[in-house]
Amino acid sequence: MTGARVHESVDSDMVIGSASTPPLVVEHVAKSYEVNGRISPVIGDLSLTLREGEIVSIVGPSGCGKTTLLNTLCGLLTPDSGRIRWHGREVSGQPQNVGYMLQKDLLLPWRTALGNTMLGLEIRGVAPSEAQDRSHAMLDQLGLHGFADHYPSTLSGGMRQRVALARTLVHEPEVLLLDEPFAALDFQSKLLIESDTAALVRKSRRSMLLITHDIEEAVSLADRVIVLSKRPTRVKAVYDIALGAERTDMIGLRQSPEFSQYVRRIWADLDVVLQ
Amino acid sequence: MTAEADTGMVRSTDSSGPLPATVAKRRWKKLRSTAIVLATQVAILVAFLGFWDYMTSNDRAAAFMFGSPTAIAGFLVQMARDGSLWRDLYVTGSETLLGFFAGNLVGTVIGLSLWYSRFVSRVVEPFVIALGSIPIIALAPIIIIWFGTGLISKVAMSTLSVVIVALVTSYKGALGVDPDQINLMRTLGASKFQIFRKLVVPASLTDIFAGLKLTVGFALIGAIVGEFMSSSEGLGHAIFKAGSLYIIPKVFAALVATIALALVLTFIVGKIERLLMPWRRL
Repeated sequence: MTGARVHESVDSDMVIGSASTPPLVVEHVAKSYEVNGRISPVIGDLSLTLREGEIVSIVGPSGCGKTTLLNTLCGLLTPDSGRIRWHGREVSGQPQNVGYMLQKDLLLPWRTALGNTMLGLEIRGVAPSEAQDRSHAMLDQLGLHGFADHYPSTLSGGMRQRVALARTLVHEPEVLLLDEPFAALDFQSKLLIESDTAALVRKSRRSMLLITHDIEEAVSLADRVIVLSKRPTRVKAVYDIALGAERTDMIGLRQSPEFSQYVRRIWADLDVVLQ
Repeated sequence: MTAEADTGMVRSTDSSGPLPATVAKRRWKKLRSTAIVLATQVAILVAFLGFWDYMTSNDRAAAFMFGSPTAIAGFLVQMARDGSLWRDLYVTGSETLLGFFAGNLVGTVIGLSLWYSRFVSRVVEPFVIALGSIPIIALAPIIIIWFGTGLISKVAMSTLSVVIVALVTSYKGALGVDPDQINLMRTLGASKFQIFRKLVVPASLTDIFAGLKLTVGFALIGAIVGEFMSSSEGLGHAIFKAGSLYIIPKVFAALVATIALALVLTFIVGKIERLLMPWRRL
């Protein structure tokens, strides 16, 4: 809260201090779909950089192609032009060491919380006993101690999303790509899981790209907020959020005047018109 | 971490549960409504049988044409005593089960593997529809010629009645898998086979079991139709023989045995379903 201004310098130091190759660089990416024989551009010309240990939020008006962007980043879609470099290299297909999380928890109903957490490790061929230990530890860390043997259908929405987060974090990805992961949660669960996510990501110095339509979420979590324009999408504005690096008090944060100022300016950028 | 607070909060509202007294009350309420449904069903059955018995008890012509519950029960007891009931049940039961397993195994394996290749499934589709539209009964004469009058021809009839349904339901199940879930598997680095084994197969289980329940009846029909065509034992044979001799109550007696067999088999499939899909019980 009050420590926000003190931490400002730390924040900018971190950005300057990262001399190594950034985990993710997007250069002039464009993507369009063909609908009924007509080409409709979704992403116009998009460039962005995710530096090491940085949390970047992307906000944009509804239907601006945020999900298309994410699918392009994780190699499920191929861009029409432009380059995507992970750790300085262009990859074809799935990038390595990247964890994804979507709004839908996509838990497999026939697997317990533990089984769902282990899924990625299992696919990678990690020994079952090790996979179990790591998954148990991850679930404990996310406050799901004692729920490992529960099936998803018996867990609340917030807990299910925590299991999904555990599944994403357990194989220790260097970069996290999150697409509105908390959008379906009630306000309380959302704040708690947001602060836990931020704490875990910052503690382990991972990088995170958060796609969201929730401006408050974007500001409260990120070091930088990128505002996208309407289709065809490009970067409209970038804000460096100077609220301090140690942001776990999600409620206190929201009360600071700087916070509301950021929110107001981004809201204005989004140029939302009531129809 | 604040996470404990979150789950603690959830636990106290969601899963600590209501007081034991209310649980007992709720269980009693549920039990009572089940009992009422059951009582109504029994009442309908008793009324129907009573009416049937009453109408045929003083009318010999009606008793000859429609049989009577008493006569049917008499035949059931007689068939049970002389062992023909058990032998027929055993014969038809094993034909049905063999056809059921063979048809579902082949159908499900093909149906699920069609998920693997969009090309193959598109090529195969019209053939499947064409085969599915053949009334199996029309094939019976050929089946008898090909496989003889013994067990094999009945199993073949039963298998054919099942296989297309099993194929279509399992393929639909495989196609119905959430594409987001497939994407998730891909982003976790899963190979196509891993996606198949860890996602598509278990996700299709619901549809597969719906198919299994449906095909119990089809397998039985196939076996009975096979027995109608040519056989020396089995429930279908008993029905056919009693019918040709105008012993109507005996036809009904064999029919009752057939219904009982269908119910038992369906019940077993349901049990296996609950055993194999424990997450659905919750």
